[in-house]
Parts: sequence; structure tokens; C-alpha cells
Amino acid sequence: MKLGLGRRYAVYLSAFTLGSITLALAGAGFVSFRQAAILQTQIRNAISTVQSASEEERLRGTAQYLAGRLFNPLFGLDVARLDEEIAQVRRWLPVRDFLVTDADHRIITDGTDAKLSFGDRLEGVWPSIDSGALLLADASGRRQVRFAIQSGGALAGFAAVTFAEDPAQTGLRRIDEQTSSLWTRHRSSLLILFVIAFVFSAVLGAVTSSRLSRSLSRPLADMSRAANAFAQGDLDHPLPTESADELGELARALRTMSQDVRTHEAALREETARLRRAEAERSELLADLGRKNAELERFTYTVSHDLKSPLVTIQGFAGMIGAELGPNAPERIRRDLARISGAADKMQKLLADLLELSRVGRIVNPVEAAAFGDLVHEAIELVQGQLTAKTVEVVVERGLPTVKVDRRRLVEVLQNLLENASKFVVPGRSPRVEIGLRTEPERAFFVKDNGQGLDPAYRERIFNIFEKLDPGAEGSGVGLSLVRRIVEAHGGRIWAESGGPGEGATFVFTLGPECWGEVEAKPPAGHAASSA
Amino acid sequence: MNRRSFFIHGSRYAGALLAATPVRARAETGRRRLRFGVIAELANEPDRMLRVYSGLLGELSLKLAPRGIEVAPLIITRDLSELARLLAQGEVDMVCETVFVTLDLQQERLVSLTPRLAIVRREQREYHSVFFTNRTTGITALGDLRGRTLVLQASRSTSAYAVPRAELARNGIRLFPAGQPKAPPSAAFYVFAGAELNQAIWVLKGKGDAGAFNEGDWKRLPEKVRAGLVIFHETQPLLRGLVSFRDDIDPAIQRASEEALLDLHHEPPGQRALEQADGITRFERLTARDVDRLAQWRRALRSASGQ
Repeated sequence: MKLGLGRRYAVYLSAFTLGSITLALAGAGFVSFRQAAILQTQIRNAISTVQSASEEERLRGTAQYLAGRLFNPLFGLDVARLDEEIAQVRRWLPVRDFLVTDADHRIITDGTDAKLSFGDRLEGVWPSIDSGALLLADASGRRQVRFAIQSGGALAGFAAVTFAEDPAQTGLRRIDEQTSSLWTRHRSSLLILFVIAFVFSAVLGAVTSSRLSRSLSRPLADMSRAANAFAQGDLDHPLPTESADELGELARALRTMSQDVRTHEAALREETARLRRAEAERSELLADLGRKNAELERFTYTVSHDLKSPLVTIQGFAGMIGAELGPNAPERIRRDLARISGAADKMQKLLADLLELSRVGRIVNPVEAAAFGDLVHEAIELVQGQLTAKTVEVVVERGLPTVKVDRRRLVEVLQNLLENASKFVVPGRSPRVEIGLRTEPERAFFVKDNGQGLDPAYRERIFNIFEKLDPGAEGSGVGLSLVRRIVEAHGGRIWAESGGPGEGATFVFTLGPECWGEVEAKPPAGHAASSA
Repeated sequence: MNRRSFFIHGSRYAGALLAATPVRARAETGRRRLRFGVIAELANEPDRMLRVYSGLLGELSLKLAPRGIEVAPLIITRDLSELARLLAQGEVDMVCETVFVTLDLQQERLVSLTPRLAIVRREQREYHSVFFTNRTTGITALGDLRGRTLVLQASRSTSAYAVPRAELARNGIRLFPAGQPKAPPSAAFYVFAGAELNQAIWVLKGKGDAGAFNEGDWKRLPEKVRAGLVIFHETQPLLRGLVSFRDDIDPAIQRASEEALLDLHHEPPGQRALEQADGITRFERLTARDVDRLAQWRRALRSASGQ
């Protein structure tokens, strides 16, 4: 059972108080008991001394007297007179038992009417005829005197007289009994006093310690309640700040802290409101941006689509003009027509790319699960001509995972990256492309080549539309923009890594969490190679 | 003053002090008086008899006074002889004694005396004596006592001397004191033990061969003492006591006295007076059977005396 602070203090204080008083009482009781016992022993010793003094002499004298008195009746076997003598003796001596026997120690009379012991043999030690009285003590410690009843050498019998206490001895015994009784009462009184004091001190200690501990623990309990209230946000909970002690200081500090918390809470609320406003503005801007992007896409689509017709017209008429001029047309005109036709083709290509770019995100194909390795090989098939022409070696890592993607678009990504790698080969270096999966620091596919590489300063620019680092390079400069749009449409991102020009480049892209499927079983080692 | 005169005058003086006794009835010649005589049981305690019979005399005085009879102060005699002499001299009219004292007065002292009433003491009208012996002696009948010693109490005892003596005499056995050299071989001997308890213990201890005393004394013996003894003979019943009147007493006084005594136990004061007189329960008239038995005992006593 867990005790609260106040109760714990109460228990400690009660135990301490009770223990102290009990110890004091036990000590006092021990001293009292010991002194009383010593006193009783001394009284007993004194009584014993008084009792034993002259008793022997008195008993011997009594025996001698009785022997003289009893001889005649015993010799004459006058039991009635013996009884009278015994009765007479009982009147002036404290006799308890008076037995008269014959010479064979068989009891003649005990002085009573019933004579219950008549004829019994009285065993034990007996004096001889000419010796004096024999003093004995019975089992209860009473004095007994045995003597021969004889006269002039004639033995009549014996007598055994057991004495009760005489008045003086009775008085001494009573004194002893009274001291014993007093001692017993004294001990009982002490014990009762001890019990009363124990109970009283226990109650008093419990009450006092309870009040003391309550006075001590109440501020702590108040502080505890206040802290709990603060923890639950009730900063207005009252605090016991009136006390001048440490608890008062703690309460005042807690109150200051609550005020600071309240101030900071207000500032936090204000900042939160500001952030919410900014978030709303950002959302509005993003929405506006989305609308504008959509509008731009629609515009791009419209322009790309609508410009196609006049361009086809231009290409058509340029062809017709060239055909009408025939082979004899002036060289200058043929060159001009060739430029017009070339520009129209270029523009048509550019419009096709723009149209394709605008379709990404606008035209969505159904998502399907596909092994990434299959997508890679599908892309390799599409660019097989270029790869073969450039003798590009493509190495595809085995065990690539299954992905849930727009299959056609993702093949388009891989196709663009492979085309890009085959474009920027280094003369005299066997071109090689590796395709695989990284797992650290995050899962991402990569397409790594050993081509021309790129300056780190251009790592972002290459993804801009129509951005071409080499103006003489093939293409419209839309490919990497298209790649980024597709990757982003799948919730991922793409970036380029390169050690610099001539160091090759690695394009790394991730996919959104919803696009990842199960990982295919990897072979123990090595890569699956697909050479061009 | 000799002992006799001490008893007579002392008793008269003490009797005169009895408040219950009508003062008018002081000794005056020619007056109708009843004189009650007793024997002092203990010579050194004459006042005991006064204490015992004062109540009885007082009640008797109250009952006889209306009939003109005065009850004289108690006459305490020293012994049987003195009582017999006073009876013979006409100074005692009435006695309350045992059967054997009464018979002794009649036969031995030749006093003209007639028993008239039986004394019932402590609800016991009669008693008998028992002869007992140690279980080891082999004595089974009175005849076995010949040549043996009988332990008796004292010569004054009725049940522990007179009755056994008479019973033995009736059976042809004469008693002699122990050590009597002239005793015939068929005789028995006796010793006095002084007390009934002593009699029993003497027999147990072999100081005598048998004993005899009152049946009540037998019952009062300590159990362990009685266990060593056995009764081998019981006497005929004997009345506890007799009230006898001198034969030449005025018949009217005798009759009035008998009626007064017979009437005492009917009233509480009379009952108290009777109880005070050594536990008398009441007085009863003698029956014919009582008279026959008295005659038998008289013959037995005569036999014993003829030795």
C-alpha cells in the first residue's frame, strides 16, 4: 500500500513518539520492578531470620513437656484421656496434626472423633528412647516434632506433632503474604499504568503526529494539486504563496512560471495564427499556381496542337514549291526552301515534345504493378537502335522490385535517360550504363553512365524545359523536363549526380510510397548485363 | 461442712434461687410438696444438675401450683447411697434414674419405690448393650468369655457394666475383677477402661478379650476402630430411664405429678425444659411389656447379686 506524504510522516512521528514513551515506561518499570523485588527479598530474609530464631528450642521444650503429659494415658491406653490431652494442647499450641502411636509406630489416636488414621503405621525417622525430640519438616515446610513417650526407661509409644504457625509466625507470614500481595498489586498496577500510558501515548502520538504532518504536508499537497492543475492547463489555480518558508518561495516561483507560461502561450497563439494565415496564403498561392499551371498546360497544349496545322501547311507548301521549281531551281532558293523545311520539321518536333509534356499529369494512364526490371528491358528495346549505334553496354541489376506505376510513362522515363546516356558518350571510352536500386539513405532507382558528365552547377538546370547544355546536341531540350514531370507525377523526385565533366553522370529518382511493391529475389552476386 | 451437707444445702440454696419456683412453696410441714432428687454425675460440677433440671422443675411448678402442689428445690445427692437414704427418710419423693439404678434402689437399698413413667430420651425409648470382641479372638458367644477378661467402662455405668454383668449372670457366668485369685474356672474377669472408646481400643490392642457397652456407643466408634471388632451378643432391650415415686407419697401428688410430666412435651416451654434435661423428648406411661422386662432385669440383677 502506498502511503501519502502526510500519512507517512504521521506513521513516522507516531512510531517515534510511541517508541520513545514505551522505552521510557519500560525503563521506569524495570527499575521499579527491580527495586520492589529487592525489597521483597529483603523482607523475606528478615522474616525467615525471625521465624527460625528460638523456634527449635521452643519445639524441644514443648516435646519434653508433652512426653510427660502423655505417658500415663498412653501407658494405660486411655485413649479418651489422650484425646482430652490433645484437645487441651490444641487450645494453647498451634497444632495442626497430633498423632500418638504405640511402640510400633502404629497410630493410637489423632485426637479426633473419627480417628481416620487409627492403626496406620507412621513411617519415617523416629528418635530413640533416650534421645531428645527429633525436629522435622513436612512436605509443606511445616515444623514437625517427633518424640518418644517414655518414663524411667519404659516406652509407652511415640508422638508426632505437626505445628501450624503460631500467631507471631502467622503475623510474619501474613506480612510476607501482604508484601507479596502488595508486590503483585504493585506489579499489576504498573502493568495497567503501562498499558494505559501506552494506549494514551499511542493515541496522543497519533493525533499529534497527524496534526503535525498535516500542517507540514498540506502546503505540499496544495502544491501538488496546483502542479497537476497547471499540467492540465489551469494556470489560474490558487497557490499557497502566503507562507514565508521554502514552500512559499516555491509557490511564488510557480506563480511567476505560470505567468511566463501564460505570456508565452499568448505569443504562441499569436504566432500560430500568423502561421495559419501564412499557410492559408501559401495554399491560396499554390492553388493560384495550380490554376495557372493548368492554364499554362492548356495553353501549351492548345498552342502545340493549333500550331501543328499551319506548320503542316508550311511544310506542305514548301514541298510543293520545291517540287514546282524542279531540279533547275536556283541553288539559293533550294537552300532557302531546305531551311524552311528544316525549321518546320524542327518546330514540329518541338511542338510534339511540348504536346507530350503537357499531356503528363493531364492524361493519366491506369496504375499497374510491374517488375521494374521488365520496364527497364522494355525501354532498352525502344532505344536499342541508338544503343547499338553507340555500342553502349547496359548493365541491369537483378532483383529489382515490383512497382505500381503508370507503366507507359515510367518506360518513357527510362527511355529518355538511356537516350541521354547514349548521347553524351566520351570518345575512346566504351560507353556503359548501369541501372539499379539504391536503398540508402532512401530507396531510389539510378541510371549511371560513364559519359561526359556535367558541371555540378548545372545539375538543376538540365531539368528545365528547352535547356540544353550543348546547343549542338540532339533533341529539343524537353526530355529531362518530361522525365522530372513524370517522376513528380508519381510522388517522387529526380536529381543528377556527377563528379564533373568527363566523370560520367548518375540520374537518381525516387517514387512515392504508394508506388513500391515487393522486392524481387536478388541473385547472390553480379549483375544481369544487357549489352547493346 | 462435709461433702453431703454441701450437696444438700448447696442444692437447696441454689434451688431457692430458681425464680420459677413458687415462693409460697417453701418448706413448711404439712404442705403438699413434691421433692425431686438426683445423683450428681460429676462431683466437682454440682451446678450442672441445677442447669439440667431447673427448667423441668419450673414447668412442673407451674403445672402443679394450680393443684395446690409445691415443687421443692432440686435435691442433689452425692451418690446412690445418699439418694437411697433420702428416699428412705421420705426427703425425696421422685427420682429420674436408669433402670439399674432404680432396680438397685429397690433391691439392694430396699427403698420402697415404684417406677411409673418411662423416659424417652432423644426419641429413644429403649436401648440394648452389645458384647463385642476383636475379630481375631474367635469368641462367638457369651459362653466363650469364661476365663477371659471383659473390658467394661466403670462401675457406675449401666450399659457398660451393670447390664453386661446382669446378662452374664443370667447366662450363668459370674464376673470377677481381673487378677482375682479366688475366682472359679468358669468365671469371667473384668477391667475398667474408663471410657467406651478405651474399651474398644483395649480389646483391639489385646488388653482384654471382649467388651460391652451401649449400642449407641458402638455406632459412635470411629470407623477404623469398629472395623477391627465384631459384635457377638446383644442384650434384651432396656428402657432408657424411669421416673419412680416413693411408695408412701400422697397418691394425689403422684397422680398430679405424672399428669404434669406426661403433658410437658405438648407445649413449647415444656419441650424446651425437657430438651434442657439431658435431651428428654417426653415421658410415657409404662406398658405391660415394660413391666415384664423390668421384672426380667430384676431377676437378672438378683442373679448377679447372688454371687
